[in-house]
Amino acid sequence: MPSGQGSGRSWLSPAALPFLGPAHGLVLAVIALPALYVVWLSLTTSTFGKAPTFVGLANYAHALTDPYFWRALRNTIVVVLIVVHVELLLGLGMALLFASGLPGRRYLLAAVLMPYAVSEVSAAVIFRFLFDADVGPVNLALAALGLPPLEWSVVPAHGLVIIALLSIWLHLPFTFIILYAARLAIPTQFYEVARMDAASGLRTFRYVTLPLLMPAILVAMLFRYIFAFRLFSEVWLMTQGGPARSTEVLAVYLYLDAFRFNAFGSAAATGWLMVLISLLLGAGYLWGLRRQMTSDAT
Amino acid sequence: MRRKRAAVRIGKALAVALILAWSLVPIVFILVSAFKPSADIFAVPPRLTFAPTVKHFVDLWTQWRGFFVGLLNSAIVTAGATLLAVVASTMAGYAYSRFRSPAMAGSALFLVAVRLLPPIVITLPLFPVVNWLRLNDTHFVLIILYATFFVSLGTLLMRTFIDQIPRELDEAALVDGASRFAILRRVIMPLSAQGMLAVAVFVIVFAWNEFLFAFIFTSTRAKTAPLFVAEMMGSLDSFDWGVLFAAATVQLLPIMLFVLFAQKHLVAGLTGGAIKG
Repeated sequence: MPSGQGSGRSWLSPAALPFLGPAHGLVLAVIALPALYVVWLSLTTSTFGKAPTFVGLANYAHALTDPYFWRALRNTIVVVLIVVHVELLLGLGMALLFASGLPGRRYLLAAVLMPYAVSEVSAAVIFRFLFDADVGPVNLALAALGLPPLEWSVVPAHGLVIIALLSIWLHLPFTFIILYAARLAIPTQFYEVARMDAASGLRTFRYVTLPLLMPAILVAMLFRYIFAFRLFSEVWLMTQGGPARSTEVLAVYLYLDAFRFNAFGSAAATGWLMVLISLLLGAGYLWGLRRQMTSDAT
Repeated sequence: MRRKRAAVRIGKALAVALILAWSLVPIVFILVSAFKPSADIFAVPPRLTFAPTVKHFVDLWTQWRGFFVGLLNSAIVTAGATLLAVVASTMAGYAYSRFRSPAMAGSALFLVAVRLLPPIVITLPLFPVVNWLRLNDTHFVLIILYATFFVSLGTLLMRTFIDQIPRELDEAALVDGASRFAILRRVIMPLSAQGMLAVAVFVIVFAWNEFLFAFIFTSTRAKTAPLFVAEMMGSLDSFDWGVLFAAATVQLLPIMLFVLFAQKHLVAGLTGGAIKG
């Protein structure tokens, strides 16, 4: 139960307030209040520089009847599902491989974490080159193997594949390190018992490793769902949502609506729909965190 | 038995080779291509031996002088955001570590819940406000934005690190009549330096590489380096891959060396100290 100063009181202790000031001031001013303003904005029609007029739910109706919105939503879901699950599979495999004992593990870890340092822009430069239709080494290699090239700037499905690939490359280090840390936290006794029982590698994984890793897998999955859902830069830098708006994701759809077509009202409606989906995704995580924050006394 | 073990070892070696190729080949490609003569960049198969040249870097300097101003802008914004985020996170982390109550838990929850909002949504209401305050295209706007978007994670991290400092230390100082701010400065901060470093590493990598906010809120004066690289990439018709690789290298190299150097703190931050790097 709560301990130390301020315990038993149901309100914030005054002594804590000055310390909370800067963090909460920033978050309130830059995120929370503007987010509420988005609600108002989504109920009005306004272009930049003009006074808004109230239109009720018309913007939501507009977004929900716009085929481009649905296409963007579908693309977002497809990319998020691919990215998150491929990352989890690869990250899990790598975590088990690292935990099984590798020579020079420190250096391998440094190498594997390297893409974390690479900006979306620089990564886009290299992916554009590697997968270039005419000179890209990957496409030339595919051609040499007699396989069809990845025509990501022409074929929408290929565009989504390269966006997913870029996103996985950038974020795999994060997923991997979460799972690796969780794997290292499993006490070795569990494995000694499994070995005494002469359990096969597969059974040990199924009945020891996987259940004990589950919480970490869920945390990593949730984090990646929420962050992959905002996907913007990778799409903007690779295809700009093209050709013909076919590879747009929600964030790009919103950006074009607001800053290209000056429709702040309907962009705000899209934005608020994105917020709702994000909050739904995050609700489970927050629930767990709340229990941890209130019950543990460290 | 021995044959099986050998097979396992070969399989592992193969997996490691694949993982290394996946992680490093794209990075090495950028760094190496920046030093290749233009003709060799497109050689099939990729040429491993070539006469290295700094021509692309010279071209970058003469044709894209603005890029170097962009690097400076990136550095200013990164430094400012890091300072602000670390200070705000340490203060809040201290409060959350030492004061426990349902209301405190609720306010921590708020800090995290708000972070679930997609950044692009926030740009909608902020854009007119930033314009109205004449803060468009300033370092200040990016510093505030970057710090805000890391203060939630930073606070949780600092709370974990400060939790490990025995309460008796600050309670003794409190009895001696020290103010809480003095305790934070003289007792808590020196003992949680590792946590502050971890937070700093996150903010530095994020701020140096960030694209979306810089794309929307800066145009000339405060334009950061990633935007210049994107702009060069956008002028695709007269595309000079050599110069583009040179720019990507200059943008990438400092932060990559920094991550290598600070890897211990990065891993400690990501895992709450579970792995010693």
